[in-house]
Amino acid sequence: MEPATKPIPNPLKLEKEMDYILDFEELNKNSLQMVGGKNASLGEMIGVGIHVPPGFAVTTESYLRFITDTGIKDTIFQALSGLSVDDVEALNNASAEVQDLIDNAPMSGNVRAAIEEGYAQLCTKCVVEKVPVAVRSSATAEDLPTASFAGQQDTYLWVEGIENVIDSVQRCWASLFTPRAISYRIKNDFSHEKVLISVGVQKMVNSRTAGVMFTINPTDGDPSKVVIEGSWGLGETVVSGSVNPDKFVVDKVLLEISDKTISTKHIQCVYDPDRGEVVNADVEPDVQSKCCMGDYEIKELVKIGKEIEKHYGRAMDIEWAIDKDFSFPESVFIVQARPETVWSQRKKESIIGKKSGYQLLMEQAMKRIKIS
Amino acid sequence: MAEEKAARFPDPHEFQVPSELEGWEEMYPSHYLFSKERGEWESKQFWYLDKIHAPEPMPPLDLIFQEAWQISLSQYTTRVFCIPPAQGIAQRMVGPYMYICAIAPPPDEVIGEKAQRFEKRVFYVFEHYDELWDKWLTKFKALGNEMEAIEVPKELPKFVPEDQVLPAPTGCYVSYDILESFNNLVNQMFKGWQYHFEMLNLTYLAYLMFGDVCRKLFPGISESAIGKMVAGAYVSMFRPEEELCQLSRLATSLSGVANILKGDGTADQKIAALEKSEDGKKWLEAFDKAKDPWFYVSCGSGWFYYEGSWINNLDIPYSYIKSYVERLENGETIERSLDKVDKERDETVAKYRELIQSDEDRDAFNNAYNTVRTIYRYAEDHLFWVEHWFHTIWFAKVREFGSLLVDNGMINEVDDIFMFNRYEIPELLTEVATGWALGVDIPVRGDYYRAKVDKRKKILKAANEWNPSPALGVPPEEVAEPFTIMLWGVTTDKVKEWLKGIGEVRPEDVSEIKGFASSAGVIEGPARVLKLLKDIVDIKEGEVLVSPSTNPSWAPVFTKIKAAITDIGGLTSHAAIVCREYGLPAVTGTGVATSIIKTGDIIKVDGDTGVVTIVKRAN
Repeated sequence: MEPATKPIPNPLKLEKEMDYILDFEELNKNSLQMVGGKNASLGEMIGVGIHVPPGFAVTTESYLRFITDTGIKDTIFQALSGLSVDDVEALNNASAEVQDLIDNAPMSGNVRAAIEEGYAQLCTKCVVEKVPVAVRSSATAEDLPTASFAGQQDTYLWVEGIENVIDSVQRCWASLFTPRAISYRIKNDFSHEKVLISVGVQKMVNSRTAGVMFTINPTDGDPSKVVIEGSWGLGETVVSGSVNPDKFVVDKVLLEISDKTISTKHIQCVYDPDRGEVVNADVEPDVQSKCCMGDYEIKELVKIGKEIEKHYGRAMDIEWAIDKDFSFPESVFIVQARPETVWSQRKKESIIGKKSGYQLLMEQAMKRIKIS
Repeated sequence: MAEEKAARFPDPHEFQVPSELEGWEEMYPSHYLFSKERGEWESKQFWYLDKIHAPEPMPPLDLIFQEAWQISLSQYTTRVFCIPPAQGIAQRMVGPYMYICAIAPPPDEVIGEKAQRFEKRVFYVFEHYDELWDKWLTKFKALGNEMEAIEVPKELPKFVPEDQVLPAPTGCYVSYDILESFNNLVNQMFKGWQYHFEMLNLTYLAYLMFGDVCRKLFPGISESAIGKMVAGAYVSMFRPEEELCQLSRLATSLSGVANILKGDGTADQKIAALEKSEDGKKWLEAFDKAKDPWFYVSCGSGWFYYEGSWINNLDIPYSYIKSYVERLENGETIERSLDKVDKERDETVAKYRELIQSDEDRDAFNNAYNTVRTIYRYAEDHLFWVEHWFHTIWFAKVREFGSLLVDNGMINEVDDIFMFNRYEIPELLTEVATGWALGVDIPVRGDYYRAKVDKRKKILKAANEWNPSPALGVPPEEVAEPFTIMLWGVTTDKVKEWLKGIGEVRPEDVSEIKGFASSAGVIEGPARVLKLLKDIVDIKEGEVLVSPSTNPSWAPVFTKIKAAITDIGGLTSHAAIVCREYGLPAVTGTGVATSIIKTGDIIKVDGDTGVVTIVKRAN
């Protein structure tokens, strides 16, 4: 994740910073300190016309206001002071105490009003009474020296109704204080008080198929390829590695699908209305080995992937979903995008070196091709 | 390396041909046979069936082209341009099929010597490519015209004409002229093939170099992408078809002409009808103007006498014109947009270039690309001028000799001359000349030669039914010879595929074959297996063409088919280039498509991955 850039002081902006929630459409990469990386990146993409499910960010300001107004702030930081990474028991106890405080403190006032307002507007926009949303924490940069530490915070899928949304927001805030997060900050000498968290509330994609996409081939670093992995249902099975996804390798220039691997996808992550939550369900046997998406969808994703990559000027790691309630191409959504970390951190140095056409020809002329 | 039992093909000396082919050896010069004296060397080499140049059983006289290229191709690699580790390509006949072998690299000191020469000679050629190409074309056209001008005596006169004796005897007469003109014809064919490879080896080398650079920068880049970046649109190979398009357009702008051309008659009937009107004559004039050189195009590969050329089978160009005129009248566009093809190519190159991460690599890519583009035109243009134009002239001249032999009782039919190899024909001609010189009522051994013709025709026919092994001998550890890799597509995978296919699997049990992904796209449809162009009339709209290989005179077929599959041919083979330009999927170089797939099978062609799947067998 890129280090946070200081927002340029500007009177309009300052007023905005007092906001407790911000619509994704109002965000861009400069909003990072207020809404965290994930949310900022969604706003940034919406800004360049990428199809992202609507939603809003609960800003870091909300979090601060919440722990201040509820009076739990001091208790929290007292509980955390003087902890040592070696004393696991003490650390676990402190974590449980703090998370409990955040989970259970009643949210009220302006923060609550803002979230209620945001959710109501989202419901109106989606023309659904209690629109199902995904509630995800979106960390600010100080807590994220590398992108790989992301994901430790929580994600709540298929959350319906304002009370559940508010509960989930609080649980996301609480996730700032898992034992792992606490010990990480102690080890790296980060102040618990300075670490802030934002939360994204985003309309759920009712996904038929979902997965990830890299705008570089992660296996060999080929920059001319987009690699897509997808499976039935929500993207969580692909992200967590709990299924072998279908895999497609597509050439960015010719848009040829050069490699198609269809796997047996036993399970899918779906919403279970009876249990009111998402579950890993069995996939119908005759569907397990079917390709989870059409070539037209693959090509649409590649087109979007290339746009995102172009906008960020670097190889990207993208989460996407195809909604069964929309018709193509409106059905194709991008739910997340972050810089690819493995290959982009490497190289930039030349692969071939400084060589003339003749030198290259000479090298070729000297070559023998092993054939056994 | 451990003494693992090496996978190998039958030893060329132990290889058995079916008994119906008995006596095949005498059709070909003896140096074409696997021999005891060279046995040790031959057993160590890897020989594979050359389906590009010899997909069909080899008529004895047609071996001359092979004989000529064996020398010419090899010498440019070994002695002229000196591609350092590469040696030539050797040929052998097994039954009427030709096997070839890319010879293993020479000793290191020879490689070193060659490297120095290579640098000096080859870089010069690249720097002066355009002027060298112009010179080449000038001299090649002159050679073809010289061949066309060879005078073959039409008959042996009872007495030599007066003017050859008085006022001063010319000194040598028709008995000599026959032999001289045949020798000249043979010599010119050899010369043409010497010219043929003048820059071709380097072209392939440059192509491989560029491909290698691309694969380093983009490890997963497809061969079809590389081909697309290199191939050009304005090539002589496509001119015959363009000329037909123009003639068709002209026809629709003239009065009454289109209707005649759309008729069902023969070319001769149409010509007769056209001659009756002013506009018809105008059109015929345009046709005549286009035909030399552009209709000197073989109906096949140019490698076999029986294929014929447009110029000798005007029904072919006329039938294409008929369908073009009909399409024009339906408001369709018949021309391929060559500008578009060129523009697309440039855009493709630019897009890949943009993806390159470092400035140095971008420069190297540009250098590699400019180098290959400098010289690539020749790869495509030589085909028309040598295999089509030049060979068409050759076949016509040989038939003049055939006619002479028929008239003198040596053979029954003109084309029977092709049943004798180029060393034997002088014997026949000498016997004719001798008989003439000896006086009247001198017997010749016509029965002897006719018996040979009959026997050879039977052998060639029997060979059609025989599927020879795709390879013989020991697979090599490495290949350095550019043609082997580029044109025949011999790679590790290919050899493995061939090994897999040996003797174990019945063709009807195979449901998937692999080749080069030569042109992108996926399509399913009924197969049409075409071994000879003469069967082309059978092809129906929407079928998938399956053939040993294709060539320029097949071009109009590509407007009918949905996809193409060939046995042999890499990414720059004709089928690959044309399919890319027409946007049809193509899988080339499968090695086995024509023996596995049957007409009517429903097949799926995946031009993105190079896989052909037999979805449903025809009943």
